[in-house]
Amino acid sequence: MSLDSTYTRELPLVEGKPTFKDIDNVIILPTETKPTKGWWIAFGISSSALMLGGFCLALTFYYGIGMWGNNQPVGWAFDIINFVFWIGIGHAGTLISAILYLFRQKWRTGIARFAEAMTIFAVMTAGIFPIIHTGRPWLAGYLLPLPNQNGVWVNFSSPLLWDVFAVSTYFTISFLFWGMGLIPDLATMRDRTTSKIKKTIYSVLSLGWTNSNRNWSNYERAYLILAGISTPLVLSVHTIVSFDFAVSVIPGWHTTIFPPYFVAGAIFSGFGMVSTILILVRKVFNMEHIITIGHLEKMNKILLATGMMVGYAYAMEFFIAWYSGNTFEQFVFINRAFGPYAWAYWIMVSCNVIFPQLFWSKKVRTSIPITLILVILVNVGMWFERFVIIVTSLHRDFLPSSWAMYTPTLVDIGLLIGSFGMFFTLLLLFLKVLPLVSISEIKGVMDGAQPTIHPHPHKSNSNGHH
Amino acid sequence: MDKKINQINNKVIDISDKISDNYTEKIDLKVENLIPETNAVNSISEEKDSNYWRSFRELYNDPDFIREKKNEFMPGALDKPDANSLSLFSRRKFLALLSASAAVAASGCSNFRDKGEFISYNKKPESVTVGNPTYFASTCTGCNSACGIIIKTIEGRPIKVDGNPDHPVSKGKICSIAQASVMSLYDPERLKNPIEVADKNSVNGKDIIWGDADDKIISILKNAVSSGKEIAIVSQTINSPSLKKLLTEDFTKAYPTSKVYSYELISDSNKNSAYEKCYGAKTFPVVHLEKANVILALESDFLGTDENKVENSRLYSERRDAFNGSEFNRLYTVEGNTSVTGMNADYRIILRTDAIEEFVMCLLNEFVSKERISGFGSDAGVSAKLQNYKLEEFISKNNISKEVVEYLIGDLKKNQGSSFVTAGSMLPESTHIAVNLLNEVLGNTKLYDKEILNVEQIPLSTKSEIETLVSNLKSGKVGAVIHLDSNPVFHLASDYGYADALKNIPNVISITESQNESSAMSNYVLPINSMFESWGDFQNRNNFMSLQQPVISPLYNTRQKEEILLTWIKGNKSEFNIDIYHKYLMDNWKATVLKSSGDENNNDGQFMKEWYAALNDGVVSGETVLTVSGAAVLTAASTGFKSEAVSNCNFNLKPGNDFILILNRSTSIGDGRYANNGWLQELPKPISRIVWDNFAAISVQTSKALNLKSDDKINITTQGGKLEVPVFVQPGVAEGVIAIELGYGRSACGIVGKDVGVNANKLISKNATISQWMYNDAKIEKTSDTYELVSTQEHYAFDEPLLKDIQYKREIIQEGTYLQYKEHPHFLHDRHTKYSEEETKKLKVGSINEQYVHTGTKWGMVIDLNKCIGCNDCAAACNVENNIPIVGKDQVKANREMHWIRIDRYYSGTPEVPKASFQPMLCQHCDFAPCENVCPVAATTHSADGINGMAYNRCVGTRYCSNNCPYKVRRFNYFNFRDRFRDSVQQEESYSLMANPEVTVRSRGVMEKCTFCIQRIMDERQMAIQENRNVIGTNVKTACQEACNTSAIYFGDQNDKESELYKLNHSTLAYSVLEEIKVKPNVIYLAKLRNVFEIEKEETHH
Repeated sequence: MSLDSTYTRELPLVEGKPTFKDIDNVIILPTETKPTKGWWIAFGISSSALMLGGFCLALTFYYGIGMWGNNQPVGWAFDIINFVFWIGIGHAGTLISAILYLFRQKWRTGIARFAEAMTIFAVMTAGIFPIIHTGRPWLAGYLLPLPNQNGVWVNFSSPLLWDVFAVSTYFTISFLFWGMGLIPDLATMRDRTTSKIKKTIYSVLSLGWTNSNRNWSNYERAYLILAGISTPLVLSVHTIVSFDFAVSVIPGWHTTIFPPYFVAGAIFSGFGMVSTILILVRKVFNMEHIITIGHLEKMNKILLATGMMVGYAYAMEFFIAWYSGNTFEQFVFINRAFGPYAWAYWIMVSCNVIFPQLFWSKKVRTSIPITLILVILVNVGMWFERFVIIVTSLHRDFLPSSWAMYTPTLVDIGLLIGSFGMFFTLLLLFLKVLPLVSISEIKGVMDGAQPTIHPHPHKSNSNGHH
Repeated sequence: MDKKINQINNKVIDISDKISDNYTEKIDLKVENLIPETNAVNSISEEKDSNYWRSFRELYNDPDFIREKKNEFMPGALDKPDANSLSLFSRRKFLALLSASAAVAASGCSNFRDKGEFISYNKKPESVTVGNPTYFASTCTGCNSACGIIIKTIEGRPIKVDGNPDHPVSKGKICSIAQASVMSLYDPERLKNPIEVADKNSVNGKDIIWGDADDKIISILKNAVSSGKEIAIVSQTINSPSLKKLLTEDFTKAYPTSKVYSYELISDSNKNSAYEKCYGAKTFPVVHLEKANVILALESDFLGTDENKVENSRLYSERRDAFNGSEFNRLYTVEGNTSVTGMNADYRIILRTDAIEEFVMCLLNEFVSKERISGFGSDAGVSAKLQNYKLEEFISKNNISKEVVEYLIGDLKKNQGSSFVTAGSMLPESTHIAVNLLNEVLGNTKLYDKEILNVEQIPLSTKSEIETLVSNLKSGKVGAVIHLDSNPVFHLASDYGYADALKNIPNVISITESQNESSAMSNYVLPINSMFESWGDFQNRNNFMSLQQPVISPLYNTRQKEEILLTWIKGNKSEFNIDIYHKYLMDNWKATVLKSSGDENNNDGQFMKEWYAALNDGVVSGETVLTVSGAAVLTAASTGFKSEAVSNCNFNLKPGNDFILILNRSTSIGDGRYANNGWLQELPKPISRIVWDNFAAISVQTSKALNLKSDDKINITTQGGKLEVPVFVQPGVAEGVIAIELGYGRSACGIVGKDVGVNANKLISKNATISQWMYNDAKIEKTSDTYELVSTQEHYAFDEPLLKDIQYKREIIQEGTYLQYKEHPHFLHDRHTKYSEEETKKLKVGSINEQYVHTGTKWGMVIDLNKCIGCNDCAAACNVENNIPIVGKDQVKANREMHWIRIDRYYSGTPEVPKASFQPMLCQHCDFAPCENVCPVAATTHSADGINGMAYNRCVGTRYCSNNCPYKVRRFNYFNFRDRFRDSVQQEESYSLMANPEVTVRSRGVMEKCTFCIQRIMDERQMAIQENRNVIGTNVKTACQEACNTSAIYFGDQNDKESELYKLNHSTLAYSVLEEIKVKPNVIYLAKLRNVFEIEKEETHH
């Protein structure tokens, strides 16, 4: 390494040299104060959206799936688009908390808790769709391998069944991971609070945490193990979700590139959603020094990288379609880009590939307003990616006689809005109830928290690798 | 004491052991033997045992205790219960009240109506086995073709109609109207009681009893007779000899002022009158179409909407079988509209309909004057008519393909005496005369059957007769009008002014199955039996008669129309009995048809034997029928061509400058009678695939010129009237042609058919200058309105480079030419083989799936695309067999139609000059079914005999199977369609009788699809087990196969090497759709061969 220390020196992860007490105060403050007017407005909007979704769901349950725009041949549409979209959003949290943890990326501490919470809420939101998308949701139990008198077993060759396992495992592990990470913070809150009720609740939830050395060493070990378990799940869940499509025979779905492409897309969309919300949250809760511009810049770099991976996948799909010589495949991709749903395709490409290229510029990466616009576009683009994959592949598949257009109904749109409502309602409740940044971890990465070894600028041997 | 008790116990145990060991007979079970010892036990137990006591009271010998101990039950326990004395919540009181309320509920809430005698099936009627269907031969009265049918009934309910194989015309096949007719039988909106409308202007009448209706009407009729006023009976075609006798002899005798009028919305009247002028016989002859090597159809839809289409398509397709040894025929069509026939043609000349006459004259001129074929060249009258028609000029003027016309002329010349020219019924008489001459010139009259003739029982009323009727109505000369199962208000040309004239008549009686436009203007509406509840006989040809018999007793308080008339003839309501027409019919047959069969003593026994035989067969043919019925007609048999018919004829039909409007028969709902039949309304039109509407089909050129798009509304004005109608841009329509189907736009109809489509009957004029169904003075103007037409198939732009011929590029449709096939039978398979056999072996990629070898039966289907004409009758049959719901227009628009089999129609060529290919598409029952491995709950699985099955109960409705189906043949119940459609009309009680009990009725949230009629396969399997034999593939006929008019569908066991299916499966034309995705479908298609002059088909070069 011939790089000098000034280049490798990391920016401080917490700005402004606050004391530990300051950290406690800032982070725990939202949970101790009455909700602000802004919170109520936000909660009002999101819970109304949730209720709208609930109403649309009630209509669907009462009348049938026909309330949606799904048809023959487009058997899946908003239902599965929303499912894949939310599952994708749910990827950033575990990636940040587990993979970045294993890679010792300390900058993750500022955003990990929040991203994990998002993961859980996104997976909860996503998990609703596979159940309600069935024609007879009251029989959804058939999807579980439960022994029964009929001796009928689930079909293990169906990717939809793998979904059931993958998503439920992912949710369980993410939830445990998140819940465990909360223990030291809950203990802090337990120690701070003067309310008896709160004290009881926090005491129960913090599982008798005493901040002892033994506590900490067990905690760190368990955290590491859970991070280890979660890491493959980040890759597996969206891989399996992509199998829903890749295992089929439908041109546009039947592609080997899908697993990595979906994982990259999931991380992309997850980071997009995390950024979107963080930008607002850090402003609202005065946490700009904890969730710094440096965090956002790093996330923007990841967005740029994953966005290009997604872009590569788009290009590769076209290349393979051409290279394979498969007429069906070729048609599907030409139809995607130039057919009746071309508008959706170009929204997808521009939001996911073209606009994120602006992140090459440091000015853009560190500009909050531009970042906000771009990450919202990423969210839009990734929703449209799923629309493009699902609807444009189905609407014109093998037999031209069965081709048809798909148009969503108001109920479809209501359910999409409702899914956002559910996600944001849960998130808003989370913001007022639990510390949205890990107090203990933040304290651990503050300047002076750890014994530091100051790197001495020196010439290392020329073939040295770290 | 213990010892004794033990002894008894042992004895009891001993007995029970022995009982269980079936040694009962050896054991003395007499109770007396046990009693003394039992008594001993009692007496012993009274002794006190100080070592064994239950309580202190016992120990100290409390007298109360000793007394109580003698009683088994507590005091009062054996008293009779008194509900009042019991506590409020006692068990006894609860049970007493429960049973009382159950009894009240059972007796008070039942909806019992006395329906007469119920006979439970424990007293089994002869020939009925519970659960097994019974079949009856009868006759369909859906139109006036009177095809023979076999009605399948289960436990007395008719559930399916198929053709009667013994019927000489339909030969076991039947059209979609007959298939769907069971729905009309169970239509909940059928009239259930006679209705009297006191005030004709008010809509609401009141139900009356039959006797009152009879009384009142008989007096009305008698008054009419006594006051010398006419009794007008207005009917549609009467083709029943017995009804004819009833009306023309008996009714006229009883009511001498009565007069019978009959009409049809669409008829062959022009064709027949032209034939009469040319040959003297009243009706067009029976043609041996199967002998025609070349057929030229001029705006004629003989394969689609003509009355005889069942017979025509059968005969036509006999010459479209690549494997039965006969040469292919060649079909030329010249048409302005796009008909099923035109779309099946080898060469289709697109020509304005009003130019067809000129075209025929040009051809005649060519043959008669130039080629000097036949002797008509020397007939001055004829050649004078022909001399001005120049083919060359005509070709260039109308911009038609000279090459094709030359082919046509060559073919007709070459096949003199074995070709046939047919013209559509909407063409005027003059065109038909020209066509008759053309057939005469070419010697094609050889194909006319000389023995068998079409007969008319009562000729249709002429225009002047109906005009007289209307003027009589207006002038008050008519005392009563009887609409005998007819709807003249809707059907008759509006310029007759029939509806207006009817208002003057105080007594209008409609005899009808359900409310219609005419019954809405009547004082008395009398409900009649459907064809499933009626007796009847029919004769359309002189060589046979067919019988109709009731297969279910009337569902409602209805009578057969003949019964009503007979009661009136007898002049007393009490003369009615349910057998009145049955007896009349039998008497008539005894007197006429089966006369000679009886012995000299006119023995009834012999007659009954013959009668039952006739009923069993459904048809009677032979000498007796010929002598009975044909006699009158035969005398007028053809005497040779009368050339004066041509020389006297005014051939003045010239293409006009305005649009030409053609009014067609509907491809689905007949003349409107079946408008309330949802199955028919939802049956796609063969070419446009549009459902639930009629429309004005216009050409692409016209649409461009007038800036019209599909769904725009236009106003059409002709001499007949004005109509606002939505437009559909139909590829292949000639420029300037507008084609509309009749029969739609019913205003007084049930909930299903009311206001579906527009009433184009309004455009018919009695004074039409050309023909009632053709107007070349149509003016159209665009309106700002639009109206959405829905179809079951997307209309994508098939001329875009990306989409052009996509069905060929994807090898979904594989075609060749007949000549190519003759030269090189393996052309289809060789087309794909780029490598030698050895190379292919090397290249062969193994499958990662282990192929299950079906060693036993393996079901499969072959569909011969050469024979399939795309008529949709298979879909209609499938609907009925498999309880397929109607989804309604809105759901078809949302692409949710439920048909298990559909006809895919693909266009190739250009929108102006398209070619069509038809392909029935149904579940392919793939060996590697992609639907099966993706179903998470294993609701769709494969059976050992190769069927892709659906377990509806297991299906949760993920729709993954449907997404993954390359053929998109799976159908999802997005709603409970029966509930959703038209105020849940399909859930009405009567419709539940219609369901085929062998097929599950599916509700919402369940995926469904073609099962290869698994219920029929199971029947065969059961028979095989009963008869201790193997399953025989050919014993199973699927509903679509049975219905296919052209026998294009073969079904059976693919492992049966003797079967025709096996041979076709391995034939040179066999291919499977989407072969390359290796799902291994079990429906094999036989490639279509177009009988054109090109050796190789151009589209296949790619």
